Amino acid sequence: MYKSTGFISFVLRRFTGLVLVGYLFVHIWVIGSATRGAEAFNAQMEALETPVTLILEILLLAAVVYHGFDGIRLLIVHYFDVTDSRKSLFYAAFAISALLTIAGGIPILLFALGLTV
Amino acid sequence: MRIFQMQRISAIALVAFMAIHMVVVHYPPGHLDFSRVLVRLGQPVWKVIDIAFLFAVLMHALTGAYDVMMDVERVTPYKRVFAGLAIVAGIVAFVYGTMTIIAFQPSPEMLAAF
Amino acid sequence: MTSVNGRSRQVLVRIQRFNPDHDEKPYLQAFEVEAKPGMTLLDTLIEIKEEQDGSVTFRRSCRHAICGSCAMNVNGTNILVCHEPLRKHVDRRGRVTIRPLPYLPIIKDLVVDRTSFWEQYLRVKPWLVPPDDVPEKEFRVSPEEVTALHNAEKCIMCGACYSACQVIALNKQYIGPHALLKAFLRVLDPRDSSPGERLADLDGADGVFRCHTIFNCIDACPKELNPTQAIETLRKLVQKRLAFEEARQERQTTLTRPVSLVRD
Repeated sequence: MYKSTGFISFVLRRFTGLVLVGYLFVHIWVIGSATRGAEAFNAQMEALETPVTLILEILLLAAVVYHGFDGIRLLIVHYFDVTDSRKSLFYAAFAISALLTIAGGIPILLFALGLTV
Repeated sequence: MRIFQMQRISAIALVAFMAIHMVVVHYPPGHLDFSRVLVRLGQPVWKVIDIAFLFAVLMHALTGAYDVMMDVERVTPYKRVFAGLAIVAGIVAFVYGTMTIIAFQPSPEMLAAF
Repeated sequence: MTSVNGRSRQVLVRIQRFNPDHDEKPYLQAFEVEAKPGMTLLDTLIEIKEEQDGSVTFRRSCRHAICGSCAMNVNGTNILVCHEPLRKHVDRRGRVTIRPLPYLPIIKDLVVDRTSFWEQYLRVKPWLVPPDDVPEKEFRVSPEEVTALHNAEKCIMCGACYSACQVIALNKQYIGPHALLKAFLRVLDPRDSSPGERLADLDGADGVFRCHTIFNCIDACPKELNPTQAIETLRKLVQKRLAFEEARQERQTTLTRPVSLVRD
């Protein structure tokens, strides 16, 4: 493995991407409970509000946010010549992802612990 | 070239759709039930937006997954198989997802309550 | 250059060894070397071979970064050992670790099999295809057209970029940064009359769209070239292939005229 920030970005982007593909199909299936009526949907939503799944949701948020911002970084790389700032762009994407995960994760955590409705 | 273009276009679309989705559905995080979702998804304009979102996300996910598979040398001889599977999975998911979006209608009991 | 108390420093040089005749797998062998001022990594390897172990095997030729023979992996990074000072690469524990270029089959010790590297290079037809109308005196190419090549002709085919590329690590069918840089050089050269065919070939599953902009190639290149940017440019051109071909045909009608007339 040839270690570099480019390599880390590549591996994380691929990994989060595959996780999200898996999640996408599960999500479509779960929300599809609505085709069986409101009660079925509500029952499904109740079943999913365990502390474990809510913690997993924070990880999901991290995956979505990282994949999205690394993707935006890629779009910038594709349309502009950013050779000189390639490492700073990677760190920026990573930092924004971390910040948003924390910003979004705290309300989820509070909800999981029953401290908010 | 086509797969690359589909990936890029759906990526740009998803930046917008995902931002909207996170703000409109998941912020602030809380209990989600049918009636809460219905407030938004009952409206035809949101149904259209969500169907477009579903299309973009399936395009991005499946072209992405296909691309990842094709990076590995041992897998490339099976590219037609993977492409076929991806297309089938995409169509099935899109149809089921659209049916779900359409299913967010007020139920007869809710209408009777008015 | 640092030296401890004015004296030369002892450095531990670890070299990856592998002899297919009697080794099951590669291993690291350590040699103690006195780091003299001005000593390059290649000087170190030659000294080890001459004074400590004559069986250490590596490629080298010109000693001044033009032949491209001596690319190796030192402390995890691909470099040309002939123009890298030994002292720059000593880690905190006083060691330098020299391995062959990664992801390529090892022939012996630090010598790797570059067959796939050369095959991909030939695949992009790295020679100029001149126009039917060859001028009596010279082709007239503008300074802007030369600048647009971003010094791609400086490539010495050392393989550092190819071997650092993670896509190559996974898939030897990928054309590779070295050959794509060469293709870029030919596609953008106004004297070349087949840009359309070249771009069509680069469009395939193993071509320009397989690069994932990991940037290892830029980090590794001893000539500070930029295969990633070359590939991005090619990606844009592939998508406008026919228009580009037409523009080239147009340009070639003016190739023998003085550049100032072309600019208007």
